[in-house]
Amino acid sequence: MPAQKITIEYNDKVVRQFLLATVLWGAVGMLVGVLIASQLNFFQLNFSTAWLTFGRLRPLHTNAVIFAFVGNMMFAGIYYSTQRLVKARLASDFLSQVHFWGWQLIIVAAAITLPLGLTRGKEYAELIWPINLAVVLIWVVFAVNFFWTLARRREPALYVAIWFYIATIITVAMLYIVNHLSIPTSLLHSYGVFGGVQDGLVQWWYGHNAVAFFLTTPILGIMYYFLPKAAGRPVYSYRLSVVHFWSLVFVYIWAGPHHLLNTALPGWLQNLGMTFSLMLWAPSWGGMLNGLLTLRGAWDKLRTDPVLKFFAAGVTFYGMATFEGPLLSIKSVNALGHYTDWIIGHVHAGALGWNGFMAAGMIYWLLPRLWNKPLHSTSLANLHFWIGTVGILLYVAAMWTSGITQGLMLNATTEGGTVLAYPNFLDTLNTIRPMMLMRVIGGGLYLTGWIVLAYNVVRTLSGAQAVNGTIEVVEEAPAPETKMGLAETFLNAPTLFCVLSVGFGTMWMVGADLVSTAGLVGLVVSLVALYALIPSRHELWNGWYEKLLLNALPFTLLTFVAVAAGGLIQIVPTVLAQKAQNVEDRIQVPYTPLELAGRDIYVREGCYNCHSQMIRTLVPDVLRYGPYSRLGESIYDHPFQWGSKRTGPDLARVGGKYPDVWHIRHMENPRSISVGSNMPNYPWLLANNLDVSTLPAKIRVQRMLGVPYPAWSAQDIFDSVGAQSRTISRDLRLAGAYVAPEKEVIALVAYLQTLGKSVPVAPKPAPAATR
Amino acid sequence: MTPTPNSTPQDQDKVRPHVFDGIQEYDKRLPNWWLVTLYATMVFWVGYWFYYERAHLGPTNAAAVEQQLAVIEAKRLAAAPNLDDASLWKMSKNPVFVEAGRATFNTTCASCHTEKLTGAIGPNLVDHLWIHGGKPTQVLNTVTNGVLAKGMPPWGPVLGPKKISEVVAYVLSYHQEGEPIEVQDAWVPITPK
Repeated sequence: MPAQKITIEYNDKVVRQFLLATVLWGAVGMLVGVLIASQLNFFQLNFSTAWLTFGRLRPLHTNAVIFAFVGNMMFAGIYYSTQRLVKARLASDFLSQVHFWGWQLIIVAAAITLPLGLTRGKEYAELIWPINLAVVLIWVVFAVNFFWTLARRREPALYVAIWFYIATIITVAMLYIVNHLSIPTSLLHSYGVFGGVQDGLVQWWYGHNAVAFFLTTPILGIMYYFLPKAAGRPVYSYRLSVVHFWSLVFVYIWAGPHHLLNTALPGWLQNLGMTFSLMLWAPSWGGMLNGLLTLRGAWDKLRTDPVLKFFAAGVTFYGMATFEGPLLSIKSVNALGHYTDWIIGHVHAGALGWNGFMAAGMIYWLLPRLWNKPLHSTSLANLHFWIGTVGILLYVAAMWTSGITQGLMLNATTEGGTVLAYPNFLDTLNTIRPMMLMRVIGGGLYLTGWIVLAYNVVRTLSGAQAVNGTIEVVEEAPAPETKMGLAETFLNAPTLFCVLSVGFGTMWMVGADLVSTAGLVGLVVSLVALYALIPSRHELWNGWYEKLLLNALPFTLLTFVAVAAGGLIQIVPTVLAQKAQNVEDRIQVPYTPLELAGRDIYVREGCYNCHSQMIRTLVPDVLRYGPYSRLGESIYDHPFQWGSKRTGPDLARVGGKYPDVWHIRHMENPRSISVGSNMPNYPWLLANNLDVSTLPAKIRVQRMLGVPYPAWSAQDIFDSVGAQSRTISRDLRLAGAYVAPEKEVIALVAYLQTLGKSVPVAPKPAPAATR
Repeated sequence: MTPTPNSTPQDQDKVRPHVFDGIQEYDKRLPNWWLVTLYATMVFWVGYWFYYERAHLGPTNAAAVEQQLAVIEAKRLAAAPNLDDASLWKMSKNPVFVEAGRATFNTTCASCHTEKLTGAIGPNLVDHLWIHGGKPTQVLNTVTNGVLAKGMPPWGPVLGPKKISEVVAYVLSYHQEGEPIEVQDAWVPITPK
């Protein structure tokens, strides 16, 4: 058959839709961010109103920025670039529209449910189970649309951007599904299947890699397409792309436990998290290098082209954040920085600097091409760039200063290291208030820059004609000899060397004596053999890799193997291990029904956004909060509430520390007890009646999950709630602060007063395999 | 990839044959400093893991903190002032002590006992009624070890002996040696005005 020339028109409609959604949700996400930052300075901005409090809006901010802003930006960039990189229109217009509208519906559902306090209580995984199902469904639609397009590609080889998109799609699916496994108790509520330390490990495997595979890999792919296009320069190094892609996707997954350093998490996992985070530094910088060095020879264009300004600054912020990440993963640095604003500064260097600026550069580049009209104003785009840059720098500098200051104060001791220098937590909070205000100003400037972008977009669009890109292609049948089978995918020297090295390395790390020694020998032998073979075999191996790039499915399989390894090795032993081996020397007493109801209120109000429940194995933590937390003390917690930020003090052992009346007054108005506190008032907890009707279903699910509750009838549960709440209410009456037994705050106080209550158990020797 | 034998400077400036939507790629060798960083972090991983997890040369988190806490306890025991009622009364007349005690009291204790010491959630400290004993050493004991059942936290570990003796001196500055001490059963919290 003679070659035939045809013209294909790209589906740029869905790109335009996602692009405009990015502009909108970006503004919303940033606006909520500025609001909650202001609430930290001025508690009055919580308006004593449930759905406006920090604890409920902070999840809205993070979810909006991650899934709504960066999500839409990623879909726009992936759909635009993929069609052109594979010379094929998106496989299905229908799926594209389902993807777009489905995703917007999910965002709207999130924006409604989160302020209502409907949450799973895990960071960036707050959305309730029906929305989880919708996310999975739409993600599958996206995946089908994407891989179907790849299957119909006219460009046989996969460009590096596509590698990153593939890694994104499969890894996010894996992380999201595992971390959202839940058993519903009602239409709007569920308990996650993991509890305590298992939940902590799975959550941060997910949380850390949401950063990796939602905020990093898709944006790297977008960088690899849009940056060389905008600069008109070749990509710096193909082999750097290869090395940093595979090392990045493999190593990233292992680094999750660095969010749990110095906690009750088993030491071997902490050491894995720390060392792999350090090994992540070079792979991350590989991406930065390939971006910045691609600009060589185009630096003069930076003066005039706002697109390149945004890209260059975005990639630089990426480099900064990915240096800071490994630094913060060093246990001793983490002892200072964790739970403080330093971490907030770190993520915003990434979110504002990397994600936000890459999004802006991409939008400014796409606008004229998607609407066939020059950008309304280049000088406004430049203005946006400078306002945004100053905003980020103010924000990040404020948070560094704030975090390090508070960390030093919290950890400071006096009298020969025997006493805390600042025993009152509020002293440390009130010291950093000026920095918290500066953060609002920095964030406000950044938001202003974004509004300038939105204005520029609106002006550019007015009177503009949407236009779809086209390309002329020659239809020809693919050459049959380029197909790669399963055997050739896995049974080849590069893959085998990788598998052997990881296998031997793992044997050395966690195996018993003989296995460990064999692993070490095997690792050394395979590395030496690899090094010896490279000079003679590199042509052959390069050839295999070039051939792999012609085969999307084998490439995807290998990527999946690379990203699955770390999770398997870290999570499976911890999940399979008997819970009894994970308790150390104390075990939690299951909550009474009233305490469980109180805990669900604690989760609903998002208390974990400001309070941790984890006393670290660090002297200042022990001096301030009491004996360090043991694994067994949260073993029945679905979800775990170890927290990641201490805007207020740790609560792991707050039970019994203060009388009930203290808590009542404190929930009603924290400042009546703690002068200078920035915690919101919670008057509705004293006004609303506790809903006990859901408790039997909740306790039934808890039993299914292994919490040792007796086989109570619904009546038993109601009786228990009634008796305990009447006792608390009566004691409160004696204390001169009567609250009726059926009020929500009674349940919350019952929960707070049980925190840290556990029974000692004899430690059981753990078998070597589970360590 | 490791630098290959035949990658000459000329090769370095060649773009790869394939073009993707107009995007070309060089195939430059990896910067040496970058490779050194990558290998150094890998070597660090091996060394760190060997030190802590295989040879167990370093302590676990729990062992490390227990050991540090033991040192602190020893220091505290050695430094603990041998306070009796007489020396605490003496401190309560010393303005430096009382002033330091007032500062700590107002940030730490006033939320329950109020800045006037007249009591709110926690009991009045200026009257002659005492629940857990009104002798200076008894007050010191109450502040140090707390009365958990009544919601009084143990302040010993948090404030340390020096600050606690100051706080007790401050409370005693509202009292006179030899004044009557009456036993009170319990304190009924009052709403602070």
